[in-house]
Amino acid sequence: MTASTAPVTHSSQARPPIWRNTTILKWGVQIIVLALVIAAFTFLVSQAKTNLDQKGIPVDYDWINDPANIQLGEGIDTQPNSMGRALWSGMVNTLRIAGVGILVATIIGVFVGLARLSHNWLAQKVASIYVETLRNIPVLVQILLWFAILTSLGDLTQDSGVLNDFVFLSQKGISIPRVFFADGFYQWLFLLLVFGVGIHFVRKRLQRKQDLEGGDKHIGLISFGLWVLAAAIAWPANPIMSWVGSIFDAIADVWGSIPETLMQLILTAIAVGAAVIWIRRFLESRRTPAGLAKLTDDDWFRMIFAGIAALIAALFIWILWPGLSSWIINSGRDFFEFLGNKFGGERGSLPLDAMKPTLSEGRFVNYGPTGLTMSVFFASLFFGLVFYTSSFIAEIVRGGVLAVPPGQSEAAAAVGLSRMQSLRKVVLPQAFRVIMPPLGNQYLNLTKNTSLAIAVGYSDVVQVGQSLYNKNNQTLAVFGIWMTFFLACSLTTSLVVNIINRRLEIVER
Amino acid sequence: MSEMSGPLVVPSAGAAEIAFGVEHEIAPEDPITPPGRWMRENLFSSWSNGIQTVLFAAILIGILKWLLNLVFAEESDWASVATNIRLLFAYNYPVEQFVRVWVSLGTLLAAAGLSIAAWNLDLSFTLRKLGINTATGGGVLVLVGILTPGTAPSDVRAGMFVLGAILLVIGLAVLFGVKDPHRKRIPFEALLISVAGLVVAFVWLFPLGRYEFAGDEASYASGTINISTKGPWTVMMIVLVASFLVGKALGRVLPSGALKGVMAAFWVIGPAFLIFVVLRDPAFDWGYVWAVDVPMALGFALLGGGVLYFLTKPGLGELGRIIGAVLFGVAVFNWVAAFFGLYPMLQKGRISFMLLAVFAILAPTFAGERAARLRFATGWAVLVVVMHWLITAINTPSTLEIVAPPFLGGFILSVSIAYYVMLASFPLGILLALARTSKLPIFRVMSTVYIEILRGVPLITILFFFSIMLNLFLPGGMSISELAAIFTGYSLFSAAYMAENIRGGLQAIRRGQYEASDALGLTTVQRTMFIVLPQALRVTIPNLVGQAIATFKETSLVSIVGGFELVRIANQTIPNQPDYIGQNRPALLFISLVFWAFSYSMSRASRSLEQHLGVGTGR
Amino acid sequence: MSMSDANIALSAEMAARDNMITCRGVKKWFGDFQALTGVDLTVKDREVMVVLGPSGSGKSTLIRCINRLEVHQEGQIVVDGIELTNDLRNIDKIRSEVGMVFQQFNLFPHLTVLDNITLAPVWVRKKSKVEAEATAHELLERVGIPEQAAKYPGQLSGGQQQRVAIARSLAMEPKVMLFDEPTSALDPEMISEVLDVMKDLANGGMTMIVVTHEMGFAREVADRVVFMEAGNVVEINEPEAFFTNPVSDRTKLFLSQIL
Repeated sequence: MTASTAPVTHSSQARPPIWRNTTILKWGVQIIVLALVIAAFTFLVSQAKTNLDQKGIPVDYDWINDPANIQLGEGIDTQPNSMGRALWSGMVNTLRIAGVGILVATIIGVFVGLARLSHNWLAQKVASIYVETLRNIPVLVQILLWFAILTSLGDLTQDSGVLNDFVFLSQKGISIPRVFFADGFYQWLFLLLVFGVGIHFVRKRLQRKQDLEGGDKHIGLISFGLWVLAAAIAWPANPIMSWVGSIFDAIADVWGSIPETLMQLILTAIAVGAAVIWIRRFLESRRTPAGLAKLTDDDWFRMIFAGIAALIAALFIWILWPGLSSWIINSGRDFFEFLGNKFGGERGSLPLDAMKPTLSEGRFVNYGPTGLTMSVFFASLFFGLVFYTSSFIAEIVRGGVLAVPPGQSEAAAAVGLSRMQSLRKVVLPQAFRVIMPPLGNQYLNLTKNTSLAIAVGYSDVVQVGQSLYNKNNQTLAVFGIWMTFFLACSLTTSLVVNIINRRLEIVER
Repeated sequence: MSEMSGPLVVPSAGAAEIAFGVEHEIAPEDPITPPGRWMRENLFSSWSNGIQTVLFAAILIGILKWLLNLVFAEESDWASVATNIRLLFAYNYPVEQFVRVWVSLGTLLAAAGLSIAAWNLDLSFTLRKLGINTATGGGVLVLVGILTPGTAPSDVRAGMFVLGAILLVIGLAVLFGVKDPHRKRIPFEALLISVAGLVVAFVWLFPLGRYEFAGDEASYASGTINISTKGPWTVMMIVLVASFLVGKALGRVLPSGALKGVMAAFWVIGPAFLIFVVLRDPAFDWGYVWAVDVPMALGFALLGGGVLYFLTKPGLGELGRIIGAVLFGVAVFNWVAAFFGLYPMLQKGRISFMLLAVFAILAPTFAGERAARLRFATGWAVLVVVMHWLITAINTPSTLEIVAPPFLGGFILSVSIAYYVMLASFPLGILLALARTSKLPIFRVMSTVYIEILRGVPLITILFFFSIMLNLFLPGGMSISELAAIFTGYSLFSAAYMAENIRGGLQAIRRGQYEASDALGLTTVQRTMFIVLPQALRVTIPNLVGQAIATFKETSLVSIVGGFELVRIANQTIPNQPDYIGQNRPALLFISLVFWAFSYSMSRASRSLEQHLGVGTGR
Repeated sequence: MSMSDANIALSAEMAARDNMITCRGVKKWFGDFQALTGVDLTVKDREVMVVLGPSGSGKSTLIRCINRLEVHQEGQIVVDGIELTNDLRNIDKIRSEVGMVFQQFNLFPHLTVLDNITLAPVWVRKKSKVEAEATAHELLERVGIPEQAAKYPGQLSGGQQQRVAIARSLAMEPKVMLFDEPTSALDPEMISEVLDVMKDLANGGMTMIVVTHEMGFAREVADRVVFMEAGNVVEINEPEAFFTNPVSDRTKLFLSQIL
């Protein structure tokens, strides 16, 4: 600048006083509020501690290994020997009903949603009535209603079935024939995997040929045929893979022999390494040909936060929960041993087998090769959740398809795609993008709603937890476990949804 | 939990130009098609269409038959519901105090009538629609009659056939007897009056029978329902119609907008007072209220108002901020003092003081001329009075406790919980949403953590935690009734969902709106209050109604933690009565109907309101 | 290219006036993209300066830095003797002294035209409602749409909306007006009505910085024209000289493309 610049009158070149400095104000207010929240939290927690101490209830997790002395209605372990084991069974029960529920609710929901979009008047109306009825009645009421209906069914006898010997319907539950994984299943799967590699190469070659020469080489049909062939060959041949089990056993041995300190070091290294890599990448993204760009407060905050997160993780690993590493070591070993035991099927072992329900003394035989049985507790919770959730899924599916602008299918028709092609290549990918996030939400809702099991006495994690804290008053600790479990579920779900979303976005571009 | 699933449809920021002051017109309806052609076009237009028709007809008939078998099963004793109606709706509410409930309901209906007139809501429909609905209803009733199993009482079946046939004939007569039914609208006045008339006629003429459950004895007498039921309902209908007509008349006399303003003010603060009329314990400690609650509320309202009036003086400069900061420090110290037990203070005193401090800090941004300052101070006073009123209603000594025999329960409890929870979670939700969308990273992280944790866990665990644990977290000497603990937990939970809904609205606001307000020199608070929130909330209204419905439905979970709520009465209280051992199925079916009717009509009402006012359409 | 040209371009009469806006070495980054690479610029009191340049050249960023919608990271911006720092008081003061008109109007859709105009005077300038409304009606008269006061922005045409936006800025009695492509979002038949209002304003002695593609407006109204490219000032000159005899090759190329 030159001489024409007038001197700055009453210049405020100097730093402004702190109460007017926007940077200081911005950070000051945030830090004060954060401090207040932390203070309030500390206060409440210390208060709870004092109150609990007065009642003589220590807050810790030592009770996890205490004998449980409770009996679970169903699950992987109905007579758990420790409280931890009881909670674990409860978690598995929750996941069991959530997994199956999500699957069935999706199928019904998609069906009803598409029926609402049908050109057929009756289909539309029936589907709308379904949706409007089910979603406006609280799910708890629906579950209790199913429970009331199912428990008023008749006693279980040989002929209390809808289809004698095959489908049973009684106040002891519902049972149908089922297909289950037999001894050779994992061997078969492994063999299929090997074949799959070959099929993949064949497929790739065909694809290249089609790209070069044009025309339809029936890639889909051929690879499907190959898969069927592979499955058929592998069916009797599965025992040749029985040696795989020893590999898993070896892995289990190695894993189990990792020293605890080493595992802690590895975990710390992962946490710190992740933070360092993140920060370096972040700085890289802020670099220009002219050098490092100006970092904003936000940028600094993010980097500091990444560092703090790594520190907290290290703190957790070394001090707050030193047992974490041994837990990882033990469960990793157990997991590989479990896998190893799945192999080693003899000659003639089959991958899959089917059985119809068996009865003994007026109840179902639940374990071993028998039919697929739902207890009334499971069934009432299951029906309640599935029908309720499916009504929401139906609305999401309908909304998703309607959200694709009509111009898209018109454009597809204009370039000569058939109706099916336009649906598959144009409309559905776009609808899927709209559907996915709320669908993930519904899956999460279904998982959380399994906690209503407590109303009908199905042994899910909440019901088991409650009966535990009724015994030992460890409400706070049990609540911590519930929270961790459900947060883990929701984080996993949103992770999966995010990954799918990202993939869909790439597909779209 | 379930469908409070955050903003399912976030209006995309680009497309959302929110329209204000634009009138929407209802599209004219098509004329009716002859039945033969209609069936050809809608049911059997192609092979696949025909198959669908057959398939869905089979599904429909199957489900209907199964349901009817359930309803009319031999082991279902519907008298268990009929004699327990009062229990289901009002639980142990003293019969001699029912007038309080009726007064509340009557006031609400009167306000509804006046509001319909004030906003000139035209919910009328055409004769075509009336005809189709009547005929369909009649047809369905006949079908139901056919499918009803033999276990049903014969007069019920006969009634279905007769009523169905009559409705069918009337519907068809309207459709085909009147010329151009799609052009003729039934005036809304006529519609309202005839609906009210039908309700009155039904309660006076229909022989539902007189059921009663007094002590442990159930009794039944034939005839119409009790005068204590049909009397008030008649009055209610008259109030509704009369207030609508009065509103219409007032609209002609008063300047436009005056009635709207009054009614809007009523809907904001009225329910808080009405719900108190219902909730107040008959053994309410008035002495305590006059000695402590009222002076405290007035003190905060007047003194606080005075302080705020002073602080909003323009040109006060840094002094205002310093006073605000000092007040804030004192407010924080009040809580610290509670921790160390330095001096006793009522919890609501601490809360009010904290609020006053926040208002004082905000005061400079609301400085202005006299009228504006008075408005700010008055806003504070109203807020304080309403807040104290609500706190008094739920948490004054001798108000409600869950211990037996509980005074509150049934449907009234569900509605009260839903109302309080929505009310409490609204401001918290706004704060969380603003924090989550803010540029300040610590606020954003804190709010995100709160929202994601609360949304990640099931409501029932939160309710367990608060009903059992909340008292453990309070300093010695402080305690909170179990119901208030449940309210607190549920509100904190609901706020997370509220925040996500409001965030959807915030994201619909264009960046230019922020830039324009910054360029004009508005402060952050002013920008938020005058520009951002009014637009965001308007887009959010449909989602908020959805959340209100979900909240209402999920009050059913209170039954699990010990509240005598509809579900608990239906599933546990009634099946334990000596006359109706094990009879929970009819009651559960009945409360399903209650929940359904309430939720469905609420969502329908909000949808038609949306179309009428053009809110939330984002277009 | 240097600032000496700018000084040559200043007429003697103009040079005698006070500086209204002074920018010295203003730099601004968006992440890894540098939008301003050290801008030096002086705007005199009552001067109308038109900023030209290809898209992405930093014109908008520059004027958005002047009322701190964007925060510059290096250099100095002084408006009416007040430097833009992170001092809250300075920011508030400058924002209420500098009016801004946007390409997309950015009217508040939930407020009537009248409320749009009176909002800031009432809450920022602490005027009484009555006084603010009187001013608002006057301004609406001045921009030629006195009859639209009770309507909502959504009910107005684009040109009318932009004129309301100008009135809204003027209601704050600003010393400087910034225009960020005010006619780019308008249908061709509405451009002139907005430009006419701006010409009136310029003739009334308002200090203005206008980012625009309206060459006719630049020739007719501007005291000086600035050409920006890649985040910096390439050329400053009086309009006649700028259009007939541009110094820089970049300017020549730009003018040949656009005229």
